Amino acid sequence: MVLSPEEAARAIRGGEVIGPLEVSGRLDLTNLEAECLPAGLHCYELDASGSQLSSLPSDIRIDGRLVLNDCAALRWLPNALRAGSISLRNCPVLVQLPENLDTWFLDLTGCHQFENWPKRGRIQHGSLILRNCSSLRFLPTWLGRLAHLDLAGCVQLQEIPEGITVSSWVDIGGSRISGLPPSLQGTPLRWRGVRVNERIAFHPEELSAKEALAEKNAEVRRVMIERMGYLRFAQEADAKVLDRDVDGGGERQLLSINLREDEPLVGLYCTCPSTQRHYFLRVPPTMKTCHQAAAWMAGYEDASLYRPKIET
Amino acid sequence: MRMLHCTAPKSKPEQSQTEMKRELVYMDAKSSKFWSIELAGNSHTVKFGRIGTGGQTATKTFADETAARKDMEKLIREKLGKGYVDAAASDSAARKSELGAEEQIPFIAFSSINRREEISENIGTFIGKRVVDYDPEKPAKADVVYRFRSDWDENEVIPNLKHFMATPAAADANALVLGAWHGDDPEMTSAEVIEVLVKEKDRVPRLVAIFVGDIVSEENEISWIKQSDLSPLLAAFPKLQLLRSRGGDGLELKAPNHANLRALAIETGGLDVSVIRSVCTSDFPNLEYLELWLGTEEYGANHSAADLQPIFSGRLFPKLRYLGLRNCQRADEIAAVAVNSPLINRIEIFDLSLGVLTDEGARALLKLPSSPTLKKLNLHYNYITPDLIRELKALPLTVDASRPSDMDIDDEWRFVAVGE
Repeated sequence: MVLSPEEAARAIRGGEVIGPLEVSGRLDLTNLEAECLPAGLHCYELDASGSQLSSLPSDIRIDGRLVLNDCAALRWLPNALRAGSISLRNCPVLVQLPENLDTWFLDLTGCHQFENWPKRGRIQHGSLILRNCSSLRFLPTWLGRLAHLDLAGCVQLQEIPEGITVSSWVDIGGSRISGLPPSLQGTPLRWRGVRVNERIAFHPEELSAKEALAEKNAEVRRVMIERMGYLRFAQEADAKVLDRDVDGGGERQLLSINLREDEPLVGLYCTCPSTQRHYFLRVPPTMKTCHQAAAWMAGYEDASLYRPKIET
Repeated sequence: MRMLHCTAPKSKPEQSQTEMKRELVYMDAKSSKFWSIELAGNSHTVKFGRIGTGGQTATKTFADETAARKDMEKLIREKLGKGYVDAAASDSAARKSELGAEEQIPFIAFSSINRREEISENIGTFIGKRVVDYDPEKPAKADVVYRFRSDWDENEVIPNLKHFMATPAAADANALVLGAWHGDDPEMTSAEVIEVLVKEKDRVPRLVAIFVGDIVSEENEISWIKQSDLSPLLAAFPKLQLLRSRGGDGLELKAPNHANLRALAIETGGLDVSVIRSVCTSDFPNLEYLELWLGTEEYGANHSAADLQPIFSGRLFPKLRYLGLRNCQRADEIAAVAVNSPLINRIEIFDLSLGVLTDEGARALLKLPSSPTLKKLNLHYNYITPDLIRELKALPLTVDASRPSDMDIDDEWRFVAVGE
């Protein structure tokens, strides 16, 4: 049966389809309430974002794009799934991808439980986006040449396997990756979308507050400060003391550092009463006193209501 | 062939040291020209002029043959740098049309806007022929291409088109150009004009090229042009070789099939992904030339590089020689995918001009594999810094990295060449 995308969507939503169905163009099944699709489906593009689908039929055929963003129940994709591009953003219970997956573009942004790669598969030529895949601990060795590799927010990922090549950029912002494999030497780096050099990315200990303050690009400067750590930056930079008082950990100070073409960096420098460790906690630049800043961190808009019995 | 009456017989392009003669041609929206040079002893003779005319001749004599040859090589390099191509390579006469003795449009004539400046003027030539505004008061001629357009306070396009269709010249027309059709009704789409053309199709049996929207910003901004479904033209004209359009609003290609179409060019300030999808699900087995102006989000672009995957995969368009993804805000992203793609290994010209191509995209292009077929990269109007332009020019390809003189590459606002 060959149907137009509109006819096919109506039939599937009405539960009327049994048997093979060929659809030209984009099949729009967004927010579909059914948990599965009919067998024998062949289309150019399928968008079932926001649907209740928990899996796809094993014989599904998609020539162009497969979009299954925000599918709360999606767990299983069929073996040897093949599509020009696959987008699976924010699928909260997706843990693994199928064996012999074959695509050019794969977007797993916000798949917090995703951790298992198939033993074999093919992802090549396009972009592999793994933003905020916070459970991910490793990358497969079978990845082909990519255009872009986005690992920002992969907080458990420590290394990129040797052999991977990328024609444009690798984003390692917020990951634990401490260097590039030889196959990626010289590849442009990004830190959560901001273009950075290898020093900022991998040798933050070499950065100085002076250097960060001299950086003209505000976005790059923010990354440099983040990489140095607010505490070291505040200690090294010539911070102005806006206020000081005493809490359970001893003296605390509200510090402000002026940044050009950016709002001032204001934070509370304090000592943990239990561990004696120092902290610099960033607060909005409108804060005037240490107490107000501490209240803001505790979620109080009106600082006068914040009267902690004890701060630990 | 009828269109290219070059004065001298065509010679095979030879780039060896012993080259005695070279014949080049140039075509763009304003002109179609030939230029040839021949070495004889210590002098060389240059012939140049508009295609279809005899042109002019100039002979220059040097101290010796080495000096003459050196000057000849320098002149050839200059001409190639300006976009001239070898005359023999410019036509695809080798491929006989299945339609018999029909007009073959030379491949070089498919391209229209070569420089950003050209967008501000109506075209002067189309498929290598002179374009003239149709005037019902004058007898219609067969050796020009007529443009049909209305001033803002008139509605002349449809009456003039019908008038022309009734003249004997219509039977010989190879090409038609539809200019600003909206007249005093800004909501009028191209649909009505297309309907007339389709209805009267038997009166223009030799039509091989149509431009729907030779409209400059003075007449109507590119994002305001009201287009419609162009596919009735594909169905009505089975001999069509070139279909060009300008304007993305309302543009559709509902039935993207044609057995003989060789060139499709879609110029927009922002192309809707549905049109990209139509191109990606099309059946154009003879397509040699595909030009898409992808545009910016401000004017309706809603694609990413992933939407172009079927094109890059190489499974569409087995005869493709030219791919242009122009006027594109995401040129860097597209460059990164293009260099990895199988397609780049079988086309001759890759065109990322008029878009926001920066050092990031340039670095990706430096990783181009040594393609057996790729000859030219068009990067006209780009945001690439001089060091990287130098590196790109060292690639074993012709690289056009030119820029309009008023372009500021340090500007933080980076915009495509053609918006509003």
